[in-house]
Amino acid sequence: MTSRSLTGTLRGVIPRSLADRLGWLGAGIVAFLLGTAVFAPVLAPFDPAERVARPFLAPSADHLLGTNDVGQDLLSELIYGTRVSLTVGIVAAVVAMVIGTTVGLIAGYYPKRLGSVLMRFVDVVLILPFLPLLIVLAAYLGRSLTNTIVVIGVLIWAAPARIIRSQVLSLRSREYVLASRSMGAKDRWVIMRHILPRTALLATGSFVRAVSGAILLEAALSFLGLGDPIQKSWGSTLFWAQSRGAFLTPAWKWWVLPPGLAIMAASLGFALIAFAVEERINPKL
Amino acid sequence: MKRLDLQKLGQYAIVIVVAVTLNFALPRLMPGNPLALIAGVDVGLLTPEQRAQIIADVGLDEPIINQYADYWKSIVTGDLGQSYRSGRPINEMIAERLPWTLLLAGGALVLSSIFGIVLGAISAWRRGGKVDVPLLTGMIALQSLPSFWLGMLLISIFAVNLGVLPSFGAVSPAANLEGWAQVRDVLEHAVLPITTLSVLSTPGVYLTMRYSMLEVLGEDFIRTARSKGASERRILFGHVARNAIAPVITFLAIRFAFSFGGAVIIETVFSYPGLGRLVFEAVSGRDFPVMQAAFLVFTAAVLMANLTADLLYPVLDPRTRSS
Repeated sequence: MTSRSLTGTLRGVIPRSLADRLGWLGAGIVAFLLGTAVFAPVLAPFDPAERVARPFLAPSADHLLGTNDVGQDLLSELIYGTRVSLTVGIVAAVVAMVIGTTVGLIAGYYPKRLGSVLMRFVDVVLILPFLPLLIVLAAYLGRSLTNTIVVIGVLIWAAPARIIRSQVLSLRSREYVLASRSMGAKDRWVIMRHILPRTALLATGSFVRAVSGAILLEAALSFLGLGDPIQKSWGSTLFWAQSRGAFLTPAWKWWVLPPGLAIMAASLGFALIAFAVEERINPKL
Repeated sequence: MKRLDLQKLGQYAIVIVVAVTLNFALPRLMPGNPLALIAGVDVGLLTPEQRAQIIADVGLDEPIINQYADYWKSIVTGDLGQSYRSGRPINEMIAERLPWTLLLAGGALVLSSIFGIVLGAISAWRRGGKVDVPLLTGMIALQSLPSFWLGMLLISIFAVNLGVLPSFGAVSPAANLEGWAQVRDVLEHAVLPITTLSVLSTPGVYLTMRYSMLEVLGEDFIRTARSKGASERRILFGHVARNAIAPVITFLAIRFAFSFGGAVIIETVFSYPGLGRLVFEAVSGRDFPVMQAAFLVFTAAVLMANLTADLLYPVLDPRTRSS
């Protein structure tokens, strides 16, 4: 569930072609979901915020997935939910990568004083109980899309920071870096010209993995009733399904099953891309 | 070795300070009147005199540094305050919830370590083969499974459609069972939550075991054992698995603490009366002291798990003992 348990342990012996195929499968899923998010107004038969039929309807030709407890179309909710899930996942991962890359670069390039202090801080963030802290922060900040993004972003940057730091540590003693520095290049130049570009692939892997984790976290927060009350997300559909007891009735097949599959597909799509990228960076044995 | 331990302990101390400080600072930094968050009152309904009275009662008129010192004093003396909602001491509430969460997290720890270690070992032994590839792919897929959704589906299938297991709570209400019937009742209620939590934890154990095994398989002493004619079975159990287990145990200790956190979501789905459900109730009822106290308990659990892992590691992996 936590993004930190997702990182790092996947690399191993898997035929390159298989890893690539899984990566393409992930890319296909992500492309499909991106398309759904962009064209949601065209694809969705109804406005998901509008009461369009009687509540608790079973699936029919008009409403392929039935309606919820207030008579909103569940299929339209599912389609629009793609927007929230992808937005939160991607933007939260961007926030995490900006913080993580900055900390990782500085800690790796200045490994002595500054670096060890920063890494001590990273370790503290990694130890703190992740999910409870996420919930406490979200409860204090209040329910909005921006707050969800911020809370997730500021909690998942530590793992990428670690990965990038170790890369920078090894890069800074390479010959071209030493040569550049011995010719009097400024630190900023060396970092921007020689180091940052070479962490790009690694950062891409971390970024995609962070998106995968952030999507699950957004769903969990919304399921606990801590998401934006105005936005329809997959997690909030499940929150209402739970509080109206939909999983105790036949409605679980059209009210509970589809949003969960969507969450899993979105998270898995990005995880598969991350897996393929990581295999490519670090072919082991 | 000694130095490392001190460093670790220092780090854990920092974690405690950060957690307590966060607890102290958050309600005071949030926009709006901190009175609502700290004293649990509706500020709009109070006369100015009442408001001043409450501010004095909870010490908000004192200098911030004194408030901070008082906060530490109450935590060190083990006083976590009272719930806004029920008015009960929080210590008491946590004490009655904790055993249920320990039951779930403990059960899941046992199940996920058995499945994770055995499957991880098989996968690594037959790396790249017909068993390994589907297992690995399946475990990656499991990591993307939303735990609360899995819980809801299990309830729909086993409790509602098949009707073989209870769908909520930790014991049958007003059944007054005794002896074995009671044990059975508790276990029946725990089966679905423990299963959900185990499915959540197994991929991490599996991936750690598989990776650790792969590293050991590449080492010289395995080649030596093989060249001396040891049987495959003996190599797998006597050499590889034994040497690969240490990182897995460390992972498990830390995973146990994370199961505590995961319990917030799973106990909510199953209306299970553990610590996680307490957090959910506190969040939905805006019962901030309870939420904060639970956060401290979670932090303590994580630190104890880390400490256990630190102590176990040299025992399990003889190679690290001498260094």
